[in-house]
Amino acid sequence: MTIRQQLARLLHHRRDLVGINRRNVELVYAQNPRKHYPIADDKLLCKVHLERAGVPVSRTIVTCDGLRDIPATLRALEDHAEFVVKPAHGSGGAGIVVVGERVTGGWRRAGGGKVTLRDLHRHLADIVFGAYSGDLTDRAFVEERIVPHQTFVELWADGLCDLRVITLRGTPVMAMVRVPTLQSGGRANLHQGGLGLAVDLATGHTVRAVHRGRSVTHHPESNAPLVGLALPAWDQVLEVARAAAGGVPLGYLGVDIVVDRERGPLVLEINARPGLEIQNVHGRGLAAAIAEVGA
Amino acid sequence: MTDHHERRLRVTLAVLIALPLALIAYKIFVLGYHPRDVLPRTQYHVTLEMTLDGHGSDVRIRSFLPLSDEHQQISDEQSSAPGMHFTSDTTGPSRLATWTGNGVPDGARLRYGYSLLASPLQFDLDPELPVPDGYGSSLAPYLRPEDDIQVDAPEIAATLHQIGADHGSTTARLHAIYDYTSSLPQRPFKGTTDALTALRLGEASCNGKSRLFVALARAAGLPARLVGGLILQSGTKRTSHQWVEVYIAGHWVPFCPTNHHFASLPETYLVLYRGDEALFRHTADVNFDYRFHISTSMVPSPGARESFGALNVWALFDRLGLPFMLLQTVLMLPVGALVVVLFRNVIGLPTFGTFLPALIAAGAGQTGPWWGIVGVLIAISVVVLLRWAIQRLELLHSPTLAILLAGVTTALLGTSLLAERFGQLHLARVTFFPIAVLAIASERFYLAVTEQGTPKALKELGGTLVVTLACFVVMHSLALQIVLVGFPEVLLLVVAANVYLGRWVGVRLLEYRRFTPVLTGGAP
Repeated sequence: MTIRQQLARLLHHRRDLVGINRRNVELVYAQNPRKHYPIADDKLLCKVHLERAGVPVSRTIVTCDGLRDIPATLRALEDHAEFVVKPAHGSGGAGIVVVGERVTGGWRRAGGGKVTLRDLHRHLADIVFGAYSGDLTDRAFVEERIVPHQTFVELWADGLCDLRVITLRGTPVMAMVRVPTLQSGGRANLHQGGLGLAVDLATGHTVRAVHRGRSVTHHPESNAPLVGLALPAWDQVLEVARAAAGGVPLGYLGVDIVVDRERGPLVLEINARPGLEIQNVHGRGLAAAIAEVGA
Repeated sequence: MTDHHERRLRVTLAVLIALPLALIAYKIFVLGYHPRDVLPRTQYHVTLEMTLDGHGSDVRIRSFLPLSDEHQQISDEQSSAPGMHFTSDTTGPSRLATWTGNGVPDGARLRYGYSLLASPLQFDLDPELPVPDGYGSSLAPYLRPEDDIQVDAPEIAATLHQIGADHGSTTARLHAIYDYTSSLPQRPFKGTTDALTALRLGEASCNGKSRLFVALARAAGLPARLVGGLILQSGTKRTSHQWVEVYIAGHWVPFCPTNHHFASLPETYLVLYRGDEALFRHTADVNFDYRFHISTSMVPSPGARESFGALNVWALFDRLGLPFMLLQTVLMLPVGALVVVLFRNVIGLPTFGTFLPALIAAGAGQTGPWWGIVGVLIAISVVVLLRWAIQRLELLHSPTLAILLAGVTTALLGTSLLAERFGQLHLARVTFFPIAVLAIASERFYLAVTEQGTPKALKELGGTLVVTLACFVVMHSLALQIVLVGFPEVLLLVVAANVYLGRWVGVRLLEYRRFTPVLTGGAP
């Protein structure tokens, strides 16, 4: 293909693409009033809004608002196992510790190693000191550990695959599954080497998979097939996404959902400025889907 | 976006564009501003450097310094003559400079520097102007023979007759003399050539041709004199130049038969003295040597300062005693910020904040862009090293930054000390780079490293440096600076551009690469 033809093709699809400028002006600024950003940025505040709207979320075991709360928090956890410690603020999975079964002197840590009471104490202190929030203080909270649905375990056993559904004024417009890899350090972040699977909204089937900008058909490490999978409880997933979007005063969202083996779809968190990489995963722009809803 | 919103935007844009254009038109057509004065002019900086070995005895040196007149305006004169006494005295048409000293050692070095702005001169001669019958006594010396200007030699009279310069109007005689002398073959002869020798050889250097011109003009009844000076070119030179002036209808009119200027003087000619003089006279046996160092810079034309009458920010800064540099920084910062916006939102290059590249570019005004960038890189290297060193102390954020700032300051001073020791004066200048800007740059880099990781921080650093260079080029465009000084309302156009870009939803240039799979219909 000549350079001219290539250019013509690039320019032809340009209108389908939502770039950062367009996302900010037409979606984020137009749909998400800045004063409501804290609902998306503070995971605890978000949970309050979602629970009030009847959206299923992971159960909170205990919250820790400051240094003084740490002893009480640890006492509350003594009889628990299989939980996750998170900072209310923080992005990209920073500061999240996943704890497994009880062992002597502590708990088994997901991905290997042990977590002692002392480790937990220090981690909680780090969180409330704002080590992960880029701020002076933060809150910590502890949730029950999610047991992912078998479909997702088969994709990647050691971490959590999540579903990202983009919603515009309550309507899902695009969705993908994010699958961790060894390269991505067990995190489902596309920029760090995670996989993105494009999901057909109507059927809940995966139609395309992308790893580091390249189209693939199998997981590069587990070799699990990635395309043509039927995702479990798809109708419920969409229902939960709609409910979450309807439960907060933000019009343009990325809703992150996991499917628990027993409880079904649960909302992990929401994002008021969802990234645009989902377009590369799908190989098409968001513009058409957005025009359908009417921005 | 609602229609109402859309309309409000359009009205805002229309006002922001129409208002400054109307003001500019008003200033030009009603107040009589001259936009052509906006073009910058070349300012020359000349330094005369003289060296001599005094052998511990008494030394006397005499030379000429330029005078301001309608052709040249001299300013910022600076004299450096350690251990010697300097006087200057304007007698007649030249300014004599004298350096005297007792017990002057070997290797003495004298300097005299000045800046000048020159305008070309062009005279229109009346072709019918008759040769006057007589002149006042003050002009008598310019008609008499001199040692090297043999006005009364028979060969001069014969040549005058032969070239037809012994009759006709003043202009006709001058044309004949000019055509004859300027057509003589050029000879790269460095010493003095008198008028007769030039005539007999039929070829000459600039001073020979000029003396012959003066001799012929005087013989034709026209007062004439030799002029000595420099042809201004950037660089170092020893060669001076001679041309002539003829007194015509109350004016001394310049002619240069060597470089073919008839009744005109180019901008590049610097007049140092008038008359058949030697540029230097000095005590014998002092191993005297000299050099002229010439450099140029672009400056606002004096016309620009004068024409911008109303709302003259320039005059305000003059009254407050603030430097022009500060004025341009203040006015150009919004323009620099617009450049940053273009790079971030249209090209998609990440930078540390919106102001930082513009601030670095403004701060680099004194040192030049590359030394500004060297300063930033030194500061950031210190941040990286110190951060690595004190990381294990697990200090809180603000004290960490304060320690980094101490490190940056120390490193810059240390760099200057070392550079000065090794004679690297350019590098020594990095401390002149505003420390506040470097401090902000360091903090931004530190935050980017801790929050987004080193690769992303380095990417932003690269973007910042590229955009800084672009900002420097735009912000230090003298023409743009003078437009803004004369027409500060142009800033409203900058605001208009930002309003437009603030609602621009186009795809950023670098996004074409990032979203290639989307743009090629999911190809790879």
